[in-house]
Order: sequence, then C-alpha cells, then structure tokens
Amino acid sequence: MSETKTNIGESIGKYFSDLGTAVADGDGFVKGSLGIMGLGYFAHKQVIKGILMTCAEALFILMMIYYGVPYLSQFGTLGTVQFESVFDPLTMTNKTNDYDNSFLILLNSIITIFLIICFILLYVSNIKSCYRLQLDDENGNHIRTFSEELKDVYNGKFHITLLTLPTVGVILMNIIPIMVLIAVAFTNWDQAHMPPAALFDWVGIANFKAVFTNSVSSSFGYSFGKILSWTLIWAVVATFTCFIGGILLASLINSNGVYFKKMWRTFFVITIAVPQFVTLILVRNFFANQGIVNTIFDHAGIIEWLKNRHMITTNYVPFLTDKNWAKFMIIMINIWVGIPYQMLISTGILLNIPQGQVESARIDGANRFQIFRHIIMPYIMVVEGPALITDFVRNINNFNVIYLLTQDVYVTQNQLMANANAKEVDLLITWLFRLTNEYYNYKMASVIGIIVFVICAAFTLIAFSRVMASGKEEDLR
Amino acid sequence: MIEEKYKLSESERLELDHGVGIKKKLTSKEVTVSVVKQVVLAIIALIWLIPIIWLVVTAFSTNPGINIAHFFPNGYTLNNFITVLTKPDSVVQFKTWFLNTLVIAIFTCIISTIFVLQVSYSFSFCRFRGRKQLMSFSMILNMFPSVLSMIIIYFIMKQFGLTNSHIGMVIVYSAGSGLGYLVIKGFMDTISMSVKEAAVIDGASELTIFTKIVVPLCKPIIVYQIISSFLMPWGDFVFAKLMLNSGISTDWTVAIGLYNMLEKSMINKYFAIFCAGGLLVSIPISVLFLIMQKYYVEGVTSGASKG
Repeated sequence: MSETKTNIGESIGKYFSDLGTAVADGDGFVKGSLGIMGLGYFAHKQVIKGILMTCAEALFILMMIYYGVPYLSQFGTLGTVQFESVFDPLTMTNKTNDYDNSFLILLNSIITIFLIICFILLYVSNIKSCYRLQLDDENGNHIRTFSEELKDVYNGKFHITLLTLPTVGVILMNIIPIMVLIAVAFTNWDQAHMPPAALFDWVGIANFKAVFTNSVSSSFGYSFGKILSWTLIWAVVATFTCFIGGILLASLINSNGVYFKKMWRTFFVITIAVPQFVTLILVRNFFANQGIVNTIFDHAGIIEWLKNRHMITTNYVPFLTDKNWAKFMIIMINIWVGIPYQMLISTGILLNIPQGQVESARIDGANRFQIFRHIIMPYIMVVEGPALITDFVRNINNFNVIYLLTQDVYVTQNQLMANANAKEVDLLITWLFRLTNEYYNYKMASVIGIIVFVICAAFTLIAFSRVMASGKEEDLR
Repeated sequence: MIEEKYKLSESERLELDHGVGIKKKLTSKEVTVSVVKQVVLAIIALIWLIPIIWLVVTAFSTNPGINIAHFFPNGYTLNNFITVLTKPDSVVQFKTWFLNTLVIAIFTCIISTIFVLQVSYSFSFCRFRGRKQLMSFSMILNMFPSVLSMIIIYFIMKQFGLTNSHIGMVIVYSAGSGLGYLVIKGFMDTISMSVKEAAVIDGASELTIFTKIVVPLCKPIIVYQIISSFLMPWGDFVFAKLMLNSGISTDWTVAIGLYNMLEKSMINKYFAIFCAGGLLVSIPISVLFLIMQKYYVEGVTSGASKG
C-alpha cells in the first residue's frame, strides 16, 4: 500500500511541476490561453479544437453566472427565506413567497462544485497541451489535423470513448448522491426541518456525537451499539452457515452413490429462482403467530411441551415477534435462502478440483476426511476466499431478508430502542431505511450511512489490497 | 432445521469414512450408503421446497385468504389465475404490471450490459494512466449499497420530474451499472493479450477489436450479464416502491403490485391471488435463472479469484 501512496504523491507533484513549466516556458499564446482557452490552438493550426475549447469556456462561464453562483452563494446558510403561503382573496389562490429550498441549494451547490473541479482539470490539461503543441511546432514535428485527432475516438483514446457514458451515470447515481449524503450528515434535516415548508441548516458534528452518546432526549447511542453488534454477529453467522452448509450440500450431491444429481440441484435452484419478495413474505406468513406452523405445532403438542419447559409463555411460538426467536428464525431462514447459492458456486469449484492430487493422496493412504481437510478445503478457500469477504459485506447490507421478514411484524418492546426508531432485529441498513422512509430523519440516516460505508470499505480494502497491490492481474495472462 | 444439519453432517461423515470414489463393484454396504444419502437428500430437498409447494397449492386454492388450519387447501380451482390474468380491478392489474416490468427490464438490460462491457473492456484491455486507481476507486464506490443513497436519488429524480415514470426507473436501475464490471473483467482477463496484439498488427482499430473479437469471445459471460440485469427489476421492490409512489396501480411493477396485495386490510381477500401472481412471475424467471446458473458459477469464481 505504501508503494502506491508514494506513486500518487509523485504523480501529483509531477502534475503541478508540468503545469509550472508550461506556464513559465510557454510563448505568448500559451500564456494567453490562461485567459482565452483556445488561443494556443489558433496559433498552431488547430483551429477547430481552438473554437471548441473557447466555446466550452464560454459555456462554463455562462452557466456559472446563471446557475452556479446563485446557488453557491447560499451554500453557507442553506437559504434564509422561510416558506410562506398567503391566501389571496382577490384571485382566490394561495400566493407563495419567493422562498429558499435548502435541499435544492445543497444539491445544486454540490453539482456546481463538481462542475468547477471538472473545469479546472480541463483548464490545466488545456494549458499543458497548448505548450506541447508549441514545442511540436518549434521542433517542426507534424501537427495533427482535426480529422486525425477524431480517429483517436475509436482507436488511441478508445477507453475515454468507452468510459464516458458509464462514468456520467456513476457520477449521477453514485457520486453526487454520496456527496449529498455526506453533506446532509452535517445538517439538521429531519421531520421538523423539511423543505420546502421549512429550512434546514448546518449543525457541525452534532449528529455524529448523537450516534455515539446517550442523553435524556436521545437513545441513539444505546440503539446504535446494539444494532451494530447484531449486524456484525449476523454477518459473521450468516456468511459462515451458508458457506459451510453450501459446501457440505454440494459435496453430498457430488459424492458417489448419489443418482439424479442434476435433479437434486434443480430442486435447490428453484428456491432461489422465485423472487425473494414472494418467498420471504410467504415464509413470514408461514411462521406468523396465528400461522400454519403454529397450528401444526399446537396439534402435535409441541406448544404444550415448550410451555412446560418455560421456553414460551404464549399460546403460540412467537417465531417472528420475540427478539430471541426472531433472530434465530432470521438466521435459519437465511440459511434456507443462502445455501442454494453457495451450493451452486461450490459445485463449480468441486468439479474443478485437480483429481491427480486427490488420487496421489489416496495412494499415500489418506482417508476421506484427511483429503477433505487438507486438499479440498484449502482449494476451496483459495478460490473462494475473496468471495467470502464480498459475501460478508453483502450480508452486512442484507436488506431484503431482514426487511421482508420483520417489517410490519416485529414490534420492539424496548422503550429505549423505540425512542430511536430502532428494533432489535434491525441491521444498520434497515434501521437507516426506516429512519428515512417512515420517520424522515435524514440527518441521522446519513450519519449511519457513512458509518456503514466506512465499515464495508474497510473490509473490502483489507480483502483486496493484496490482490490490487501485487501485479497478479498481469501474471494470469 | 437443526436435526437436518445433524443428518447432513452424519451423511457427510459416512461418505468420508467409506472411501467413495474408488471404482469397484458395489458391496451391500455401499448400497446402504447410497440409499441413506438419497433419503437424506430427499428430506433436505423437501424442507427447501415446502414454501414453494405452499405457493403452488395456495395459488389453486378456493379459499381467498391464508389457510391457517391446513397446509393443503380444501378445494382446488383455477379462478385465482383467471382473476389475475383477465379481471383487472383497482387492486389487481397484473397484465399491466407485467408489461411495465418487462419494458423496464428490457431497457435496463440493454443499457447496463453495454455499460458493463465498455467498462470491462477499458479496464481489461486498455492501458492508460490512472487505470489501477480508477479500478480501486470504483470497487470502493461499489461497496456503497444503493439503499443508503436511495432517498437522495429519489429527491434528485424528483427535481427532474422522473419519479412515477418508467424512464426514471430505467435510469435508476442502469445508470450506475458500470461499477459492476468485476465479473466480466475477470472473464476478459482470461483472454490472452496476444489476441489483441495480433489484431493490432493486422491493422485493426480498438473499436474493431472490441466489437469483432473480444465481445464474441465473451459470449457465455455476456449471457450471464444479460440475464442478471434483466432479472433485477423483477426482484426489486424497495426502489420501485419509493420511486413509483403515486398510488396509481397501473404505473406499478409486478413487485409493488403483489406486495401491495398483502396490506393488512387486503391480505384475507387477496392472498391466493398473490400466490397465483407470484407463481406466474416465477415461471419465466426460473427458466432464465436455470439457463443462467452455469454461467453464474463461472462468473462468481472467475471474478473473485482474479480481482
């Protein structure tokens, strides 16, 4: 990792020193392109490119005047004019004043900042390429015509052509929302401060403090601790049960003496092919307090049996309504959901295990268990190790299983949890979702979102830094 | 469940003890092992299939609500399917939902497959400055679950008037798809660089190499990508519920429509219809999924091992 850091440091240094040389050693036209961006191109026979650059600059300036500056100037206060609506008896309509919308100010300011950064990058590269052009001209090198440059679009600079649209999409759908989310974590945007009717404002790190502390009015610290620990326990247990279960199931189906292998596999695959919102809601009704499983248990006398052992106090098993039962059931149901996936993956791997190693181990007198433990498992771990971390991160964010099983079913009895709009069975991500969707508490949801992101990014980086740092990618070719 | 796990591990132990795999004539002991394995598998498979069986039998049930007394319904009828398919009312608009979802899925699938291919090719075959950094950056970005920024995306789409619109749904589903390049890039990494070098010597441009050489070589994994992105709108209901919130049922996708039937006030009237609808959606999805599964394995393992 440290190696990449110095590389980044060096390249940043080079970036600025190149710019310095270009400005210092450039001729009048290069210096002129500090003001009018196309100037360097006009002087060196690349007229069309010059026109394009100058147009881009003019467009940027116009946009800043009419769009960027009005929003950016209010970024510090997030708006000052409160929404007011007055009934006008003359026209019989409500008249609203020219109010400020805090969210729009925040969003558009961030977009503007983004545009400014992009423009600065373009501006710097423009100066540098003008300087290069000047050098080429002085040395009598061939200056490429516009049509020659156009060919780069599908050849030399093809990656730029390819990456442009996906990058725009990612900026719109991922980067800007994340930046807004981070900004919201430092504001007081919640139900009492909902645009457009009300303004919200910057509050510094108050929300972060609230997540880690308890006070008379807030139990976020308490709930956060509980939910974070359950999230991590859940992620570990869910990942490992499915991993082990999947391998065992796959090797059982693959083992000798089992016929109709394909049919067995198809049975399990069917369960994941049905959409999760259908199966999980069915299962939820299956295990309802007045559901069919409880009826069957009642007839079979299991309820009596459990009652006599004081495992339940009700006339039914509170599968999804008691916190311990619910956590147990969620993990069990997740095994049901997850094992078929893992079985599919493990099957593929098991079929690829080099049989030579297994054979020679057998000749050397290893028994089945030793072969499984010392040859098959290490092989699976090598292939599936990184995927295991991805699974772990995915389980931290396993929204579907938790939300579909507990929404509208589980009600918390814990007053402190309820005060923070949390439930014992919530993961950070479902808590966050309900905070925004049901309670409009965007500020706290953003703080939790940032924390989830940090946790996930940390695990991912640990898992992949080795793969990334070593030149493994090239070795494989 | 616990009992099942115990049985599974026992069978595993049996299997391990008895040195299966050496080809020889079946002894009576091996026959027993084989039978035990089949029985264990049958029991496990049954447990896995119980909810599916329940889905199927309830879809044919004469009782419209949840039958809590018996697993199997008292009578069988095709009425639920007839209602779902031919009698749209304010709650059930199955055919419209199906078409809505189909249109969204087709466009999502086209856009995201193209995006992912473009990104994968750039990262796998092009060498440019900042490529590694860009890859790491996108990988971290991909770790940011969409549920987190969903609400902000909703507000942004609202500014552009794209909530309650299917164009908006397609954008939401496909715009960020370029980040999911890992699996296809992993597959492309297995194609030798010399293929490209040879083509360059023959005077092919990057565009030709991309469309005429690399894409055809990646056909199997492209099938995986196409099917998985096609399936996304069918399974997602959280995003759809947030974005299509007008309450007009003809706007909805299958997922929201079916989920809506299970509101507390409706569940006793519509549960069997929900099952019928769920079953109808599951059939095409299952078929696609079964086609996809062999590529799924290839995709997950190749993507994971090559980073």
